[in-house]
Amino acid sequence: MNGQTILVAMLPEHLLLAGIALLLCLAIAPGRPRGGFAISLGAVAAATVAAIWLASTGYSAEPFAGQYSVDPVASLGKAIVLALAALVLLIARSEAEERAFPILLLSSVYGVCLMLSSDTFLTLFLGLELMSLPVYVLVLLAYRRPESAEAALKYLVLGGTASATLLMGVSLLFGATGTLSLSVFAVALETPGTMPSIAVALILVAFFLKAAIVPFHAWAPDAYEAAAVPVTAYMATIVKAGVLLAAVRLFGIVPLTSPTVELVALLPLLSIVWGNLAAMRQPGLRRMIAYSSIAHAGYLFYALLGEGPTRFQAVAFYVLVYGLMNVLLFAALPPDADDRARDRLDHLKGLFRRDRFAALMIAVAMLSLAGIPPFPGFIAKFLIFRNVMAAGYTLYAVLGLVGSYLGIYFYLRVIQYLFMTAEERPTITRAPERLALGASLICLLASILLAVFPGWAIGSP
Amino acid sequence: MSDAGLLNVVLYLPLAAIAGIIALPRKSDGLVRGLSLAAMLLQFVITGLLYLRFDAATPDLQFETRLPWIAAWGVYYQIGLDGYNILLVLLTAFLGPLVVAGAFKAIDREVKLFYAMVFALQFAMMGTFVAQDLFLFYLFWEAMLIPLFFIIGIWGGERRIYATLKFVLYTAFGSILMLAAMIYLVYSLHTTTGVTSFAFTDLYRAELPLPVQTILLAAFALSFAIKVPIVPLHTWLPDAHVEAPTAGSVILAGVLLKMGTYGFMKLAFPLFPDAARLYAPLFGTLAVISILYGACLALVQTDIKKIIAYSSISHLGYVMLGLVSLDILGIQGAIAQMVSHGLVAGGLFLMVGMIYERCHTRDLSAYSGIAKLLPVYAVFLTVLTLAAIGLPTTSGFTGEFLALLGAFRAAWPLHLEGSSYPLILSSSAVAGVVLGALYMLWFAQRFLFGPSKAPHMPLADLDLREKAILAAIVVTVFAFGLFPDEPLRKTELAAKQYQRLVGEDRSGGKMALHGADAPADVVETDAGATPRVARDTR
Repeated sequence: MNGQTILVAMLPEHLLLAGIALLLCLAIAPGRPRGGFAISLGAVAAATVAAIWLASTGYSAEPFAGQYSVDPVASLGKAIVLALAALVLLIARSEAEERAFPILLLSSVYGVCLMLSSDTFLTLFLGLELMSLPVYVLVLLAYRRPESAEAALKYLVLGGTASATLLMGVSLLFGATGTLSLSVFAVALETPGTMPSIAVALILVAFFLKAAIVPFHAWAPDAYEAAAVPVTAYMATIVKAGVLLAAVRLFGIVPLTSPTVELVALLPLLSIVWGNLAAMRQPGLRRMIAYSSIAHAGYLFYALLGEGPTRFQAVAFYVLVYGLMNVLLFAALPPDADDRARDRLDHLKGLFRRDRFAALMIAVAMLSLAGIPPFPGFIAKFLIFRNVMAAGYTLYAVLGLVGSYLGIYFYLRVIQYLFMTAEERPTITRAPERLALGASLICLLASILLAVFPGWAIGSP
Repeated sequence: MSDAGLLNVVLYLPLAAIAGIIALPRKSDGLVRGLSLAAMLLQFVITGLLYLRFDAATPDLQFETRLPWIAAWGVYYQIGLDGYNILLVLLTAFLGPLVVAGAFKAIDREVKLFYAMVFALQFAMMGTFVAQDLFLFYLFWEAMLIPLFFIIGIWGGERRIYATLKFVLYTAFGSILMLAAMIYLVYSLHTTTGVTSFAFTDLYRAELPLPVQTILLAAFALSFAIKVPIVPLHTWLPDAHVEAPTAGSVILAGVLLKMGTYGFMKLAFPLFPDAARLYAPLFGTLAVISILYGACLALVQTDIKKIIAYSSISHLGYVMLGLVSLDILGIQGAIAQMVSHGLVAGGLFLMVGMIYERCHTRDLSAYSGIAKLLPVYAVFLTVLTLAAIGLPTTSGFTGEFLALLGAFRAAWPLHLEGSSYPLILSSSAVAGVVLGALYMLWFAQRFLFGPSKAPHMPLADLDLREKAILAAIVVTVFAFGLFPDEPLRKTELAAKQYQRLVGEDRSGGKMALHGADAPADVVETDAGATPRVARDTR
C-alpha cells in the first residue's frame, strides 16, 4: 500500500469526496451561496471520467490489500453507476441547490463505489449502509407530504432488517471459516450442508430486500411514490444497479448448486410475475414504475443463473439500459407545479398534443422497458435469457419470458394515455427545463447507439 | 451502385422518409403527403428494378449484404432476395404508394405522425422479408407491432383502443414463445455442431430429436398461426380490421398476414421438418377449417369490412393448404395466393374505405343499388369481387387453383395406399371455393344492385386519385392472372428448396414415418442419413 496507488486507484471516490467536502463548506457558509448543483454535477462527471479512464486502461491494484481492490470490472461498474448518477443530477436542478440534497446524493454514490470494490464483507457492509442511509433521508426530504415520513420510515425499517439479515449471514460464515473475505461466500455456495446454505440464504435475502424482490418488496411502491422525482429516479437506477453489481461481485463466477438455484430463480420469477401484474392496477406513474422496477429486479437476479463469466456483462448491460430508460422517462415528464399531481397517470392523457417531444420520449422509454425490439431493452433482456438458457435452465427462462410478456400491457397503457386518449381537462404545463431536456437527449442518443451497435457494447465472446 | 446497395436503399428509404417528414414544418400536411408518395413510389421503382434483375436460374441469395453485427452471439446483418421473398417484397413495395395515396383524404389529423408510422411499418415489413438471420428477422417481426399499434390506436374507429391492445397482446404472446424457441434452437445448434449462428442457412442444418422439434415447432407455429391467422387463433383479426383506418386494414390484409405464411414457409416447417411432416395433417385440417369457417362467418356479416376480414381468413387457409401439401404446384399456388390475396384484399379494403369516406357507415343494410349511383366504383368492385372468388384470368384463380391442385396431387397417392383423410381434406377445401363465391356474390348483389339507397345522397363517383389507385390494382390482378408464369418462375427454385428441406429427415433417422401422414414420394427422395449437400450458398 502506498500513497500513489491509493490516489490513482480510488480517483473516482476521491473526486466524489472532494465534491462532498466542497458542498459541506458551501452548506455552512453564511448566507445561501448557490452552486450546489454545479459542484455536485462537476464532481460526479469528473468521477465518471476517472472511472472510465481506469476501466479503459485496465488498471488494477489493491490499495488496501484484502479489503479494497480495483480492477477493470469494478471500474466499469462504477463508470456506469456514476454516469447514471450524473444524468439523475441533470434532472435535479432545483433540488441540488438545497443544502442537504447534493451531499446526501454524493455520499450515497460513494457508498455504491465502495461496494463495487469491496473484498471483505466489512467493506461491503460499509458501502451498502453508506448507499442506503442517505436515501432514507432523501425520501424524507419531500416531507411536505405526510406520506413521505411514513414511506421513509417503512424504508428505514425494512432496510435495517436487510442489514441485520446480512450481518447474521456474515456472522454465520465468519463463525464457520474465521474470515470476512468475500471469497468465503463463493466457497459456501459450493459447500453442501445446512450451515453454509443458511448463511447464503440470509445474505441473499438481504440483497433481495435492498433490490425489492417479492416478497421483500413492500417498501418500494411507497418509497417511490413519496420521494421527489429525482430521488425516485435515483432509487430506480443507481440503488438497483449498485445492489445488483455488488451481488455479481459477491457471486463471482462460481456455478450455482441446487438450493441456491431455486432461491435465485423462484423469488425473482415471482417478482417478474407479481411486479408486472401489480403494475397494471396502479393509478400513479411512480407506483407503476416501482412495480416495474420490482419486475426488472427479477430479470437482473436471473442473470446470476447464467454461467459465471457472463454474469457481469449481462447485469452491467441491463442496468445501463434500464437506468437510461428510467432517467429518460423522468427527464421527459412534464414538470407540473404540484409535485403530487405529477404522480397521476391521468395527467399524461393527451400529452402528445401538448408536448410532442416529451410524449415521444416517454413512449421510447416505455417500449424499451417493455423489451420490445428494436429498442435496447430487448437486447438487454435477450442477453440475460440467452445466458440463462445456455446455462441449462430452459424452464426458468421460458417462465421468465412469459412473465415479461405480462408486463407489456401496462407499458402500452401509458402510450395509450399519451397518444390515444383525450385529456380530461386542459392543464397548464411549464416549459421543460433545459437541463432535463439535455438529459433526455443524452439518454435517447445512448439508447439509439446501444440499439444499433449492441455488438460494440457486448464485445467479443 | 451495386445491386446489394440498391436493396439496402429499398430497406432504409422509409427511414429517410421519416427523417424528411420530421424536418418538414408543422403546418404542411400537403408537403408531407407529397413527400410520402414520392418516397413510396421511389421505393417501388427500385424494387421493380431489383425484381427485373432477379435471376430465376439460381437458388442462391441475391443482392446479399452480410456484415457482422453482434459478433459475440454470431448475429449477422444479413439481407438478400431469394425466391421466397421476391414476390412479397414486390407486393409490399407495390402497396406502399397505394396506401399512402389512399389515405390522403381519410387522415386529416396528426398527418405527420401518421405518415411517419406508415413508413416505420413499411421499414419493418421490408426488413422482415429480406432478413436472412433469425435475430434480425425477430427484431423486424416484433418492431412491426409498434407502428401498427399507433396506427390503429390513434386513427382507428370507436373501439380502437380495445382493438389495438388486443392485436398487440395477441401477437406479442406468440412472439415471446418464438423468442424462447429461437434461443433454444440456436443454443442446441451450438452444442451439437459448435457453430453459433442465427443465419437461416446454418439453422436449417440443426439436427434435433423429434420431441424437441415438436415443441419448437409448436412455439414457432403459434406465433405464425396467430399472424396468418389460422382458426381458432383469429379472433383479433376482425376487431383490428374493423377498427383500423383504411391504410391500416390494407397493410394488415395486404402484407402483414402474409408474414405468418411466409414464416411457416421460410422458418417453421423447414427448421423442424420431421415434426412438420408428422403434424402436416393437423395443419392441413386447421387450414381447411379456416377456409370453411372463415367463409361461413363472412356469409353472415353485416359490416362490409368484416366480410372482407373473414374472407381473408378463408383465403389464407388455401395458402396453408398449399404449403402443407409439399407438392411443387401446391407450394407455388401458396405463393401465388399470398400475392393475389394481398392485391385483392388490399384493393377491397381500399374500396370499403372510399365508400366509408363518403357515407360514414360500413353497415351493409344501409346500401343498395350502388351500381346506379357510382358506376365506376361498381365496375372496380365487381372486378375485385370476381378476383376474390378466383375467376379464371384473375390472380385469385392462379393461387386457389394451384393450391388445390397441389393438395389433390399429394393426397391421391395416399388415397391409393389406403389413407383417404388427405383426400377428404382437399375435397372439403373445394367446398370453400363454392362458399367463397356465395358470400362475395351475395355481398355484391346486396351492395350493388336493387333499388338505389345510400346514407348520403348524392354521391360523388371516384375522383382521379381513387381511379388511379384502383386501376393499378386491377391491372396487376389481371396481369398476374393472365401471365402467372413469369413471376412464378422466379419462385420455383425456392419452392423446390422448401419441398426438399421439409422432406429431410433431421431427427437422426429414428423417426418411424407414418405413410399416411407424410407425402411419401417426397420423403423418400431426400430422406437418408447423409446430410444435405451443396445447399449452403456461401
